[in-house]
Amino acid sequence: MTHILGIETSCDETAASVVIDGKVIASNVVASQIDLHAAYGGVFPEVASRAHVEAIGPVVEQAMVDSGIGYDSLDAIAVTRGPGLVGSLLVGMNYAKGLALATGKPLLGINHLEGHVYSLWLSDMRSEPRFPILLLIISGGHTELLLMKGHGKYERLGGTLDDAAGEAFDKVGRLLGLPYPGGPHIERAAQNGNAAVFSFPRAKRDDSYDFSFSGLKTAVMREVTVQPSAEVRRKRKRGAEKKAQLRADVSVNDVAASFQVAVVEQIVSKTARAAKQYGVNEIFMAGGVSANQLLRAEMRKATQIPVRYPPLNLCTDNAAMIAAAAHYRYEAGLRDELDLDVKPMWPLTSDAYDK
Amino acid sequence: MPIIKEGELDIISHSAEQTQRFGVRLGALLQPGDVICLSGDMGAGKTVFATGIGKGWGAKHALTSPTFNLVHEHTRDADKVRLYHLDCYRLTTAAEADTIGLDDMLDSAGILVFEWPEHIEAALPKKRLWIEIRVIEPTRRNFMFEAHGKRYETLVAEFRRQILGR
Repeated sequence: MTHILGIETSCDETAASVVIDGKVIASNVVASQIDLHAAYGGVFPEVASRAHVEAIGPVVEQAMVDSGIGYDSLDAIAVTRGPGLVGSLLVGMNYAKGLALATGKPLLGINHLEGHVYSLWLSDMRSEPRFPILLLIISGGHTELLLMKGHGKYERLGGTLDDAAGEAFDKVGRLLGLPYPGGPHIERAAQNGNAAVFSFPRAKRDDSYDFSFSGLKTAVMREVTVQPSAEVRRKRKRGAEKKAQLRADVSVNDVAASFQVAVVEQIVSKTARAAKQYGVNEIFMAGGVSANQLLRAEMRKATQIPVRYPPLNLCTDNAAMIAAAAHYRYEAGLRDELDLDVKPMWPLTSDAYDK
Repeated sequence: MPIIKEGELDIISHSAEQTQRFGVRLGALLQPGDVICLSGDMGAGKTVFATGIGKGWGAKHALTSPTFNLVHEHTRDADKVRLYHLDCYRLTTAAEADTIGLDDMLDSAGILVFEWPEHIEAALPKKRLWIEIRVIEPTRRNFMFEAHGKRYETLVAEFRRQILGR
């Protein structure tokens, strides 16, 4: 039986959690910075790292107290090593190293994307997943389609060529004057909108499993904003920030609904095709965008293969998933040294941990 | 008398594909220490152009939007040079640029490609290539190249030869 403390600070959540055997959550504490960053329409790095520094001590303490497990009973301390914001990652990494040194427990640096994968093992599973599994990791910073052949064995099939899916939601949300983060607000607006009003571009019909959301974002902007006149453009100071002006006669709800359908269709069509081609037994969706209800419903409709996704509180960043991923690495006998560095860029592949 | 100044170039791209090809040509000409600033509205094509730069330079992984992580660090097989692709949209002051390690990147002799550079203009080196991208029509974009410093005048001249043959 393993007791692992997980720490996650890769972006805007300071989180800590104790997980038993990679499956049972003994405690799960998340200090969200969403309110802090909402005013800016996105995560501000300096605000983020300062907030992490303030929150990390109390958050880890709370996770330990909630779990009822003492530091002595821990088997390992796991921390997100990347990908993420360098300043934010360092706060978690340094805290984890300090704890590892103080307690004498081994340190494990975990890939944030692998954490999202293992959030699936934390949900109440009636049956063990059967490999191969198709993984769709979709969040504010990532859009990845991977084939998982076993624990720690990944093959990347595709990913975004430009914006991440969640980023497209954030940017279109900003365009529509909706609060940050864009995903849930667009989803809510879309419920009262007509998705047939605008026909935004869908996926390119090619054989790849790559995604592209930048053209869609631009198409939305073209459709719903007022183009500045040549006169205004000429007079504008070079480099001055240009705020797009929303057309008065468009319904935000209709745009949100039409945009959401276009995003979902692209993701679902590529994922369903990959599932068929690779003969997978299951489809796993994880990451913040996997909380989108339309995406879940359409994915289930598009394929006969079982589709799993984590409960809503585990879709977004959390530390339980980091502890869960660490369980399998711990059981495989893997340990990290105390001079471990953070990796802001760190794609998830089978050899991700090799160097 | 020339119509545009030395070190300036004014071109039109007619599609996202062409924008990327412009980027490819520029990317192939980059040298360690080069600083490229891409300024323009959301949807102007900054990331499309940057993706082209990455291809032309030979980046191991395709350049994608750095909006979320703020900095993407790229490598290539040819040498040990790094290419840093930055999005400064969420940086409000030059001091904040420090929190993402801008000084270290500038000292590293790597190549720096900025999106939203105007947000941290005070922290940028004076010598740089500034590219202003304007949306003219749904698919057409106007690229204004402005060289600041001798190196960038040379770079713009080479780039002009590459795309115009003169």
